[in-house]
Amino acid sequence: MNAVILPVVLPMLAAFLMQPLAHISAFTARLLGPLVLAISIAMLVQPWFLPDTGPFTVTFAGFVPPLGIVFYVDRLALIFAVAVPLFTLLSWGWSTDTHGDEEKKAREDALMLLLAASATGLSLSGDLFNVFVFYELMAVSSFGLVVQKGTGPARIATLRYLLISAFGSVLALLGIAILYAQTGTLNLAQLGQLAPAALHGPAGLTAFAFMLIGFGVKAELFPLNTWVPEVYATAPARIAGLLAGLISKLAALVVLRLLVVVYQDTSASQLLLLLGTLTLLVGDFSAWRSRDFPRMIGFSSIAQLGLVFIGFSIPGPWGVLAGLTVALHHLLLKTGMFMLATRWSGSLDRLVGCAKSTPVAAGLYLLFALSLVGIPPLPGFWAKLVTLAGLAEQGSAMHLVALGAVLLGSVIKAHYLFRFALKLYSRSDHPALRHGLMDLGTAALIGIALIAATIYVVPIGERLRAVAQQAADRDTYIATVFPDHANTAAPEGPR
Amino acid sequence: MTSLDILFMVSGATLLTALLFGRLRLAEPLMVMLYAAQLWALIRTNTLFGDPVASSWQITVLVDQSMSWRYNSVSWFFAMLAIGAGLVSALYAAGAWMEKYLESGNSGHAVHLALAASVFSMVLLLGAADFLTLFLGLELVGWSGFLFMAIAGGVAAKAALKYLAYAFSGAMAILGAMALIYANVGSLEYGRVIDALPSMTSGQGWALLLLMGSGFAVKMGLLPFHLWQAQAYAETPAPGSVFLGAVFARMGFYDFIAVFISMVGIAQLAQLEVPNTGISSRELLAWLAAFTIILPTYTALKQQDARYLLTWLGVGQGGYMLLGLMVGDAGGTAGGLLHVFSFAITQAALLMAVFAVMYRTGTSDLNMMGGLARRMPWSFAVVLLGFFSLAGLPPMAGFVSKWLIYRSLASEGMPLLLVASVIGTVGTILAGYRLIYSMFLGRLRIEQEGVREAPPSMLAPMLAVAGVLLMVGFLPSPILNWVAAIQAQLGLPVVDYYPGGFSDPRGDLNMIWIVSVLLAGLGLAALAVFGIRVRSKRVHAPGSLTGGHFPDAETRHGYVDSFYAGLMQLIGPWYCDPFAWLERALVSGVRFVSSSVNRLYRYVQPTVFLLATAVAVVAWAINAGGF
Repeated sequence: MNAVILPVVLPMLAAFLMQPLAHISAFTARLLGPLVLAISIAMLVQPWFLPDTGPFTVTFAGFVPPLGIVFYVDRLALIFAVAVPLFTLLSWGWSTDTHGDEEKKAREDALMLLLAASATGLSLSGDLFNVFVFYELMAVSSFGLVVQKGTGPARIATLRYLLISAFGSVLALLGIAILYAQTGTLNLAQLGQLAPAALHGPAGLTAFAFMLIGFGVKAELFPLNTWVPEVYATAPARIAGLLAGLISKLAALVVLRLLVVVYQDTSASQLLLLLGTLTLLVGDFSAWRSRDFPRMIGFSSIAQLGLVFIGFSIPGPWGVLAGLTVALHHLLLKTGMFMLATRWSGSLDRLVGCAKSTPVAAGLYLLFALSLVGIPPLPGFWAKLVTLAGLAEQGSAMHLVALGAVLLGSVIKAHYLFRFALKLYSRSDHPALRHGLMDLGTAALIGIALIAATIYVVPIGERLRAVAQQAADRDTYIATVFPDHANTAAPEGPR
Repeated sequence: MTSLDILFMVSGATLLTALLFGRLRLAEPLMVMLYAAQLWALIRTNTLFGDPVASSWQITVLVDQSMSWRYNSVSWFFAMLAIGAGLVSALYAAGAWMEKYLESGNSGHAVHLALAASVFSMVLLLGAADFLTLFLGLELVGWSGFLFMAIAGGVAAKAALKYLAYAFSGAMAILGAMALIYANVGSLEYGRVIDALPSMTSGQGWALLLLMGSGFAVKMGLLPFHLWQAQAYAETPAPGSVFLGAVFARMGFYDFIAVFISMVGIAQLAQLEVPNTGISSRELLAWLAAFTIILPTYTALKQQDARYLLTWLGVGQGGYMLLGLMVGDAGGTAGGLLHVFSFAITQAALLMAVFAVMYRTGTSDLNMMGGLARRMPWSFAVVLLGFFSLAGLPPMAGFVSKWLIYRSLASEGMPLLLVASVIGTVGTILAGYRLIYSMFLGRLRIEQEGVREAPPSMLAPMLAVAGVLLMVGFLPSPILNWVAAIQAQLGLPVVDYYPGGFSDPRGDLNMIWIVSVLLAGLGLAALAVFGIRVRSKRVHAPGSLTGGHFPDAETRHGYVDSFYAGLMQLIGPWYCDPFAWLERALVSGVRFVSSSVNRLYRYVQPTVFLLATAVAVVAWAINAGGF
């Protein structure tokens, strides 16, 4: 079971070896990244086939929590941990952007591996200190990746991203510091034990709010997401896809853990609901106005993240299920959409009539758009239905407003996505824009996965329910980390 | 495997065939045969007079929700119309029409696919046995309709996008209602929802009613959500226009019946008072229907394009169906349901004829035609019969259904609604006459000298449908038989019919008599005209070209621009397009909001929002934490 550490350690090691190796053998260096990621996937998939014995923890060097750092591995963490190397591999830059420049290629590969390592670590971490470290590492590697093209706009966008991220991180750190000052620990499980007494007051909630801002930057939460459209429009599309699809979800995962373990039964979820609703509306309305493809799907991804947060703000397993289904669906789709964006950059009007030269890409776009809008029986519909049912179940005025916002956002989304679809399919004599085989192949793979998910929606739904049930259970979390204290009352923490 | 499974499979096979072989010319006869097979499979289910049949397919989702399909007589009736319209459209498209369509560089594949997908999704929708299945069907119908509307590109694509905005808003309203139902009832199955209805508070009830109601209103093109229809239907390729024009909005009507008539019931609607107004929701719906009749019909009057004129009239006809249903007695509901059938065949016949003229002349602009009666006599005959039926004149199918509605409105004490529906009929007659006159009467244009009758492949379905129109008008009992079965299924009072019409304590309607008298009268008139040899008299051109109005020097006379100049002087100021104005205002609102929020992302100081948020959330935390 300790093998789950390797997907964090191996890519990191490979990242540091990459540059020297590229000097010795460019070919081996090229192979190293995909190989390490493949191994990581294999290792992380393995626990799925073992009998489900419930969540477990991995401690380092014999220091038990709360002293040592700890990885908390439940099904939810595993889903994201598998997704990290998988989607990094799907977004792997085989040769497209570097044009044979081996050094540049090695640099990118190293950054990608670093991103994968830190993101895997983030999804597994059971204490806030590690979360913060991995989060920062992830941020740093993403800066390097998005600025890759080296154009003026890319640099400006990255600088903007860097500034916002840095400010966000400072605030997150401030939040973490408050938690530490209040409780004397950063271990999530211990925080969970101490929270009802120590953290459900103004200080604790302020800490949550600061952390929400900090992690909200990557999670594209409004109004902390002003970096999104520019970065997505100027970075290589597959990197943008990785950020929009995967990295944003990991930040959301951190917020979910905080909410479930530390801030259950507080008004923290209301803040999340409010910001989620705003994010959703702002994202969809902005996308309606945007005039180029990467920005459009960037804004649409903001809206989807809003929906994820709305889902997570619903208390109990149902909320986790809602947020999780939306998040996974979006992870899949946005990666696919950005794969299409590799050739479909620039103004939407440039893409008029593209369906004729790239029918497969246009067909995939239609499929993705239909699912994104939530047309039954595609998976997007079920994700949306679960969220809506959860909101209606809560029934408070704010939840009903959020419900209305989700419906309104869907209408706007359908309009802009299909306005573009009609452009794709209208007649014109624009030059053909053909996708690279790798990009189109990846998008097609995602399309196939989407259709498979449509067919197997029932078993997948069952599995996700079990995952959500497990992840929403705070007591399990605490009992798993502290098996000895399982049945004892929460100790009084230092104040 | 049940007979319903077979119907679904045949329908699915049709779709698959369209998908795989739609590019081939062979697809045309193949599709016709497959639609005929669907019709056979539908008849085989025997759900009109027999017991309801459930599909053996059942999918369990969300742990305890199942999706299942079930056909009863209502489903059968609407499915008959949908498949029938599909068959007629496929027949019409096969042969000459498709040849020309392909010659102009279009794809026949898309047409076959859209038609097959529409029919398939309608067949699925009509069997929905729970809200989840209903929503699935609705969405599938909606999106296949969107495909149909969009394939012509250009203006059609714009109309399709507008349809999308309306239809998807409607769908989201229904989805919202479903979420509320699920939260309150814990299930989306019809039976459990019906059980839970009485225990709902009035607020919950109204929320559901409004959400579901407006969703269905969009789908059936009820005022004020009717603006998506006319252009979307008119701009599709001919088979699409015929199919959509005849049955598309009826799917919304079916949903309305399935939820509001079978689950809630007319009696409950009559008792449910709209808060603070003193009118019941039944009256509200009846008046919405009445305005749906009047406004679109008079909008049709101003159209310069034959297709638009017909599709606008079609929007208005939807109102009659709902109005009849809302009367609630045996005759009214029978009239409303019968009108679903009469209108479908009428509109199909009319649109086919108009597209046949367009096929030959290359235009559907009423101002660019005239005198085609001699060149296309059969098409003229079809339009004439269709016009009679649409306007509700004997001896056509439309007369029977409208007569039933008028009578019930009069006898159930709803004189104002009767007046409203008659105003609508007057408008229909005026608009229909404009259509006939501009296309077929008057002078033949020089460029249309060489026009010939429509090719047989297009003429045959037109004449067949027109024949049905006449036959139902002469002998309405077979269709009344269907309607009676539906009424029994829905728990409504059942119409008492006999071969030539129906009986009623306040006076029967016997179409055999009416038609006989009418024919005798026509015979006498013909005898008089030809026997006495009345000479035709030459009249002054403006007299014949302005529809009876004598223009003054100010009016630009002639039928080209202001056909009903006199009438327009009277009612012209009433045309103020309030709904188009509302629609534009809404779009402006969306544009304003999206520009505003989009601008946030171009703000130069990226961290300002972050810091502002930090301040705001600290304030929130202090407040929420009870400091």
